[in-house]
Amino acid sequence: MEVGMLPISASKRGKLLAAGYTTLDAIARASASHLARDIEVSDSEALEILNLAAKTGVSDRPNGTSTTVVGGGQTAWDMLNDEKFSSYITTSCVDLDNILGGGIKCKDVTEIGGVPGIGKTQIGIQLAVNVQIPQGYGGLGGKAIYIDTEGSFMVERVLQIAEACIEDMAEYSNHFHKDLQPCEVKMHPNNILENIFYFRVCSYTEQIALINYLDKFIMENKDVKIIIVDSVTFHFRQDFEDMALRTRLLSEMALKLMKLAKKFCLAVVMLNQVTTKFIEGSFQLTLALGDSWSHSCTNRIILFWNGNERHAFIDKSPSLKSASAPYSVTSRGIRNSTSSCKRIKMM
Amino acid sequence: MRPENLLLLPHRSEKCTVGCPVLDRCLNGGVPCHSITEFVGESGSGKTQLCLQLALSAQLPSSHGGLSASSIFIHTEFPFPFRRLRQLSGAFRTSHPDLPDPCDRVFVRAVHSADELLHLIPTIETFLVYSRSRWRPVRIVVIDSIAALFRSDFENTGSDLRRRSSLFFGISGGLRRLAKRFGLAVVVTNQVVDFIGDGNVRVGNLSDGLYSSGRRVCPALGLAWAHCVNSRVFLSRDENGPVRRRRMSVVFAPHLPHSSSQFLIKGEGVFGVEDIQSEPDKTV
Repeated sequence: MEVGMLPISASKRGKLLAAGYTTLDAIARASASHLARDIEVSDSEALEILNLAAKTGVSDRPNGTSTTVVGGGQTAWDMLNDEKFSSYITTSCVDLDNILGGGIKCKDVTEIGGVPGIGKTQIGIQLAVNVQIPQGYGGLGGKAIYIDTEGSFMVERVLQIAEACIEDMAEYSNHFHKDLQPCEVKMHPNNILENIFYFRVCSYTEQIALINYLDKFIMENKDVKIIIVDSVTFHFRQDFEDMALRTRLLSEMALKLMKLAKKFCLAVVMLNQVTTKFIEGSFQLTLALGDSWSHSCTNRIILFWNGNERHAFIDKSPSLKSASAPYSVTSRGIRNSTSSCKRIKMM
Repeated sequence: MRPENLLLLPHRSEKCTVGCPVLDRCLNGGVPCHSITEFVGESGSGKTQLCLQLALSAQLPSSHGGLSASSIFIHTEFPFPFRRLRQLSGAFRTSHPDLPDPCDRVFVRAVHSADELLHLIPTIETFLVYSRSRWRPVRIVVIDSIAALFRSDFENTGSDLRRRSSLFFGISGGLRRLAKRFGLAVVVTNQVVDFIGDGNVRVGNLSDGLYSSGRRVCPALGLAWAHCVNSRVFLSRDENGPVRRRRMSVVFAPHLPHSSSQFLIKGEGVFGVEDIQSEPDKTV
């Protein structure tokens, strides 16, 4: 029994075993608050046990490898608890946030696709700005990585959206926290620009190299909370004779991004183009890169025109029900669709 | 690999005037650099006129909204309108007598097929490097028109369509790379085809569809090509009534809301006309 090796009192040891903590790994994986709750001790005592378990674990296994190999294990119960604290990045469109359960989720890979001019890049820029909303205003206070493959990222547009975002925050603080006045002064559109790491890539080899390098980059630049790839598709629609190679490269890239999302607890948003597909005698619209690619992301959102209104539709998600919501692209960024505002007013 | 510092990039991306303040206002300053802009319209809608004027106005100093730069004009429709360029440059010289002969700064090249264009891109690159050291740098590349290259050589079969779209992305990728490296404003023109049934996918802002000469049209080359340009501007004409009306409308652009402007083509060039009653912007 590994727990027996810990230099702690017999009663605590008993409680640990009774709560199901039989191995050092199990203890090391638990957080102090979980442990404190499970074995009914104070947080500081739990922390002490954790430290001891960590120390014993390392001295026990001088090579120190086996902990990392099995370190990824987590029970579904823990995951459910984590889920409660998972963070979201707002899209600035309340309707869209509602169907997404609060916004774009961290640790997830979300794919957003649609026809040209529907607002993919606009959503990308909006998210790169919104991720920086400070925690006092319900945001993450993080930074963004923007990978631009198409050259549609326009600084003047980022400034417009950033200014509108800061104005909205000022209004929010006036409404709810009259005391937060000094906080808003700190945010300036230039700060927002400074916290977007912008990469312009000109070929698929560059794109793959950059994504391989991101792990190191995020280690060096803490607080990156979102990676936006606009678009993941463009360079993969040229120069490929060998479609099997393309599929392999793409799924490897998706896997890397997914790892980054989990490791650094950040959101990955991949923008995709659309193409037509011949199904049952008629041409239908579908996201590009083929069927095997559609397995590569956790969530998939399709943007489309419904009459005069832009709509977003959740096409695939393990936890959200499929639903659609209208949104609009305004000079201030992504916002609720005007017609849905009217509807609310009428009710 | 290092991220670019957005604070060091100009806060308003560089634009090149199209040679008329009213049209520039519609495009928020002109044609953006580092990006591909498409002018799409039926024949006689003024695409080539606008491109020729752009090639001249790019030579203006930045105080006049230009880039102090030369331009490359790749034409795929024959013959190249030399006489019109002469005429426009005459008007250009009278208004800007201090600049050298503008025709010396427009490099013209004919291209006959899509493959030829794809293989021309490395040559253009060499030329761009060379031009930087020799003359005023080239900052404008015009391709008039891209559609003409693709309208004859391809059958309507699966393999040909695949080859076609792979060429689209190849050409666009090459042009975007050049645009990024040399700060080019790339302008391509595209033709239109008649709109047939519901099979066409709505692209862009104009909710009622694109109308020109009373017919509903849509840009040629389909959805795949639409992904290959950053901004699309629609030129239409309408001959109902006593005067010929021409209109320029933004279909989609990452930096522009939906906007439009009427324009005229005269001997001296293309000129925007302020709308007498300003229409309220419907959707953005």
